[in-house]
Amino acid sequence: MLVFFRDGFYKDLIILLVLTVIIGAVFAQGVAWAIDTYFGDTLDGMIGEYGEYDVILHIREEAKETALRELERIGEQSFPGYKLNQTLTIAGQANFFFGFPETHRTKEVLEGITSYFGAVPGINGYTLMVEPSVLIRGVHPAVREDLMEQIEALSGVRFVVKDGVNLVVVLAEEDGSADITRKVEDILQKYQILELRFPMGFEVDTQEVGEQALAILHSHSSPGQSEYKNVTSAQYGEDLDAFLKALVEMRDFLGSYASQVRLVPDPQVNLGVGELIILEDDLLIEVTGIYGDHVEGMIVEGSPVQSMDTIVQAGYRYLGPGERGEFVADVEIENERYRLAYAVDESLRLLAELEELSVQASTAVNNAEGVLTTFQEALMQLEVLQVQMRQLNEGITNGDAKSSGEQFLVTLLLNGLFQTLAQGVIHTGEESLDSLQNLDIEEMRESLAGISAQISNVQEIDVAAIMEQIGFVRDTLPNLNDAEIGQSIRLINTYLGGQVIPGERVQLLIEGQHVDEKALESLFREELENPYMHTYSTSVGMVTPDARGEVFRILKEVRSIVAGMLSIIFTMIVLVLDHATVFSTLKFLRANDRPNKRRWARLFNPLLVLGGVLGSLILTSVYYLSRSQIPFVSLPFVVFLGFALGGLIVVFAERFSPVHSMELMAGQSLGLSNVQIMREIVIPPSRPGLLNLLNRFRQQF
Amino acid sequence: MLEIRDLRKSYGKLVALDGVDLTVSRGETVVIMGPSGCGKSTLIRCVNRLTEPDSGTILVKGQDIMALDSGELQEFRRNVGFVFQQFNLIGRLTVLENVMFHLVLGGMDLEEARSRGRVVLDKVGLKGAEQRRPHELSGGQQQRVGIARALVTNPEIMLWDEPTASLDPILVSEVLEVMEELVRTTATTMLIVTHEVSFALRVAERIVFMDKGQVVEEGVPKEIFADPQSEIARLYKRLLVT
Ligand SMILES: Nc1ncnc2c1ncn2[C@@H]1O[C@H](COP(=O)(O)OP(=O)(O)O)[C@@H](O)[C@H]1O
Ligand SMILES: [Mg+2]
Repeated sequence: MLVFFRDGFYKDLIILLVLTVIIGAVFAQGVAWAIDTYFGDTLDGMIGEYGEYDVILHIREEAKETALRELERIGEQSFPGYKLNQTLTIAGQANFFFGFPETHRTKEVLEGITSYFGAVPGINGYTLMVEPSVLIRGVHPAVREDLMEQIEALSGVRFVVKDGVNLVVVLAEEDGSADITRKVEDILQKYQILELRFPMGFEVDTQEVGEQALAILHSHSSPGQSEYKNVTSAQYGEDLDAFLKALVEMRDFLGSYASQVRLVPDPQVNLGVGELIILEDDLLIEVTGIYGDHVEGMIVEGSPVQSMDTIVQAGYRYLGPGERGEFVADVEIENERYRLAYAVDESLRLLAELEELSVQASTAVNNAEGVLTTFQEALMQLEVLQVQMRQLNEGITNGDAKSSGEQFLVTLLLNGLFQTLAQGVIHTGEESLDSLQNLDIEEMRESLAGISAQISNVQEIDVAAIMEQIGFVRDTLPNLNDAEIGQSIRLINTYLGGQVIPGERVQLLIEGQHVDEKALESLFREELENPYMHTYSTSVGMVTPDARGEVFRILKEVRSIVAGMLSIIFTMIVLVLDHATVFSTLKFLRANDRPNKRRWARLFNPLLVLGGVLGSLILTSVYYLSRSQIPFVSLPFVVFLGFALGGLIVVFAERFSPVHSMELMAGQSLGLSNVQIMREIVIPPSRPGLLNLLNRFRQQF
Repeated sequence: MLEIRDLRKSYGKLVALDGVDLTVSRGETVVIMGPSGCGKSTLIRCVNRLTEPDSGTILVKGQDIMALDSGELQEFRRNVGFVFQQFNLIGRLTVLENVMFHLVLGGMDLEEARSRGRVVLDKVGLKGAEQRRPHELSGGQQQRVGIARALVTNPEIMLWDEPTASLDPILVSEVLEVMEELVRTTATTMLIVTHEVSFALRVAERIVFMDKGQVVEEGVPKEIFADPQSEIARLYKRLLVT
C-alpha cells in the first residue's frame, strides 16, 4: 500500500492539500468577512463611522426642517468643521447626528449640549455617543464628583462628562478602552452602597435612622478600614414614591368608602389582627386593627344589608367554609357607602324642592309690595280725613255760619255722627297715626326689592345642571361591594408590604472594605428595632460598553464563530468529496497486502493514522488561517476534532466513495501504476471535488 | 513457461489455496475446472499477483514473480492478458479507449495505439463499435472488448477467469468462438478457468481439476474423461454425457 505513495501520487496529494487549506481558509475567512462587512456597513450607515459623531439630537418630526436649518446655523457659528447627518426617524422623532470638530470635543461642550442646542426647535433631548469612550451607568450622585476626579486622573482618559445619572469617560485612543474599563471598574469596586429599606407604612426619619445606622456600622467594624457616609437621598426613585403614595391614597379612599366595621370583643376573647370572624348572615370580617378596646375590621366576603342605621350582629370565630366557632364579638357595621348614596339622593330631592320654593317666594314678594302700596294709600287717606276732621271741628266750634243750609245739615249730621267717633279718634288717633307715619315704607320697599333680587338669583341658578352633575357623581362612585373593597385593600397592602417595594430608604456609602449586607441585616433589625427592614447592597455605577462597541464585539465574535463552523464544515466536505475516494482505494489495496508479520504493526492501522493526521492538518490550518474562534473550543481540541473527522472518513470511506473494484483490478492487470490507476480509473468518476478538478490536468483519458 | 509450487493463500481462517503445484509449458492451453469456491480464481489471480499469495513460488520463464518490485510487476503484467468473468471494462471510456488506453499509459504513441486497438477489435468482431460505451453493448460484446483489451499487448500468457460464466447461454458461443479462434491462431500460453466441458474437450491440451484449494487431478482431456480418478472429474464427465 505504501508503494502507492512511492509511485508519485504523493505529489498530487500534497498539491491537493495545500490548495485545500488555502481555499478553505479563503472560503471561511471570506464568508465571515462578508458577514462582517455587511453588518458593519449597515451599522456605519446607521450610526456613522467610529468617532464620526458625538451626539444624537432627538427632534420632533414636524420641526425637523426648521431644526435642520437651526443646527446648521449653530454648527457654522459655534463649531466650524462640524458634521451633521439626519438618520432614522422613529416614532415621530427625527435623529440628527452631530459631530464636533476635534478642537470642540471638550468637556465644556459635551456637558453644555443643552446650552448650545436647547433652543433648537422641536428638540426632545439628546444622547451622547462620543467615541472612544467608556460609559458608566447609574452613578450614585454621592460619589459622582469623586469618581470623576479619580477617573480623569487615569492616563488615557481625556475627560469625564456628566450625562444625567451616567458618566461618559472620553478616551484618548480606542486601544485603551479595555485597559481603562478595567481601571474604572477597580475604582467603582472601592465603593458600595448599603441600602436599608423599610416597608411601606413605617414612618421613618431617614436622616435620623441613617445616622443611627452609621453609628452601628462604625461600632461593628475595625477602625480605619473603611469610610462610611450617609447618602440617603429622596430624589432617587421619585416616580415609584409617587406611585406608592397614590396607592396609599387609593387604599385609604377605599377604606373610608367601605362599610365601617367596629368590633366589641367578648372580654374573655383575645382577638388578633388578621383573624376572620363570621356573622349570622354569612358576612366574613377580617380584623384589621386593634387599638386597646377599640377593634376595627373590614368585610372580606358578602354584602351587608343596605341601611342607614348601624347594624349590630354577633360574630363568631371563622373555622372554614360553613364552620363557625365560639362567639367572639359584637360587630357593628355602618354602611357609609349607602349613607353617601342616600345623601346624594336627598340632595337631588332638595334641589328639586328649592326650585319650587324660589318660584313661590318670588310670588310672595310681589304680593308684599301690593300690600305695602295699599297700606301707604290708606295712610294718606287717613291723613286727609284727619285734616278735614280738624277743619270741621274748628268750623263747628268757631260758628262760621256762611255755609248753606245743606252744608249746615251735613255739618250737623257729621257733627252728630262723628262727635263721639272723632272724639276718640282725634285724641287717641293723633298718636296712632303719628306712629304709623313713622314706619319707613321706603326702606321696607328696598329690602323687599333685595329679597326679590335674591330670589331671582336663585331662579337663575341652573338647578337642572346641578342635579345632572350630582347624578353623575352618584353614578361614578365605585360600584364595589364590601367584599371587593376588602379584597382590593388586602391586595394593595400586600403590594405595599412587599419587600421588593421600598418604603422609606436609607443609603449608606461605604468606601473601602465591602460589607456583607445580609450578615448586617439581623444586626440592623435588632439595633433599629424594626424586624421588617431589609438590607441590600448596590454598586455606585456600572461600566457598560457603549452600543457600538458592544455591537462590534458581538459582530467580531459571530464572525469568528461562523469562520470556525465553516472551517469544520469545509473540512468535512473536503474529506468526503476528495479524501474518501483516496482512502477507499487505499483500503482496497491494503486488503490485498500480505499481512504484516509483526503483531504491533497489525494492531496499528496506518490508514487511520494517515486519515487522522490529514484531517487535523486540514482543519487546524483552515481554522487557524481563517482566524476562527469558537467559544470553549481550544486549538488542541481543533487538532483532535480534525483527527477524529479524518479517522471517521477512513472508517466510512467506502460509504462516501465506493471503490469500483473491478475497474481497479482491470487497471492492475493491465500493468498500470497506482498513480495511473488513481488518475485514470479511480478519480475521474469520483465525486466532483477539488481532487477531481485537479485531476483533470493530469488525466490522459 | 509457468511454474507454480506449493502456493498457499488464506483469507483469514479460510484456506483458499492449500499448496497448489502447477506447470504450464510455452504455448500450452490448460483448462482449470472445479466447483465454485475451490480456489480457481484465487489461483489464477495469484499468477500476476492481483491477489497476493501467502507463500509459495511462481516462476514465469524462470523469473520469480513474488520477488518483483512494483515497477517490474507492472512490466510483467503488461505481458500477461487477463480476462475477467465480469469483463471489468472502464465504464467511462469508449470501446476503443478501453482496448488501447493502457498502451498509451505504457508509453506508446497515441495513433499507434489506436490502430492497434482497431486491429484487435476487428479480430474479435467488433469493427464499427469503437466509439460506443461498454454499457451500450451486450454481454457477449463486452466480453469480446475485454478479450481485445487483453490481446492488444500481444501477451505471452493469457489468463481467463470464467469468461463466459456471467453471459446468457445464447451469448456464450460468440465468446467461445473467439476464444477457440485465438487458441488456434496464436502461440500464446493459455490458462483458462471455465465450466464449459465440451469447450475444454475441444481446445484444452490439459485439464486440471481442483477441489478445496488443491489440485486433485490433471491430464489430457480425453484420458481424464475416459477414466476419471477424482470425484470432481467424475462429476464433470457426467456433465459431458448429458
Ligand atoms: N477477497 C476475498 N476475501 C475473502 N474470501 C475470499 C476472497 N476471495 C475469495 N474468497 C474465498 O476463497 C475461496 C476461494 O474463492 P475463489 O478463488 O473465488 O473460488 P472459485 O473461483 O473457485 O469459485 C472461496 O471460499 C471464497 O469465498
Ligand atoms: Mg471464481
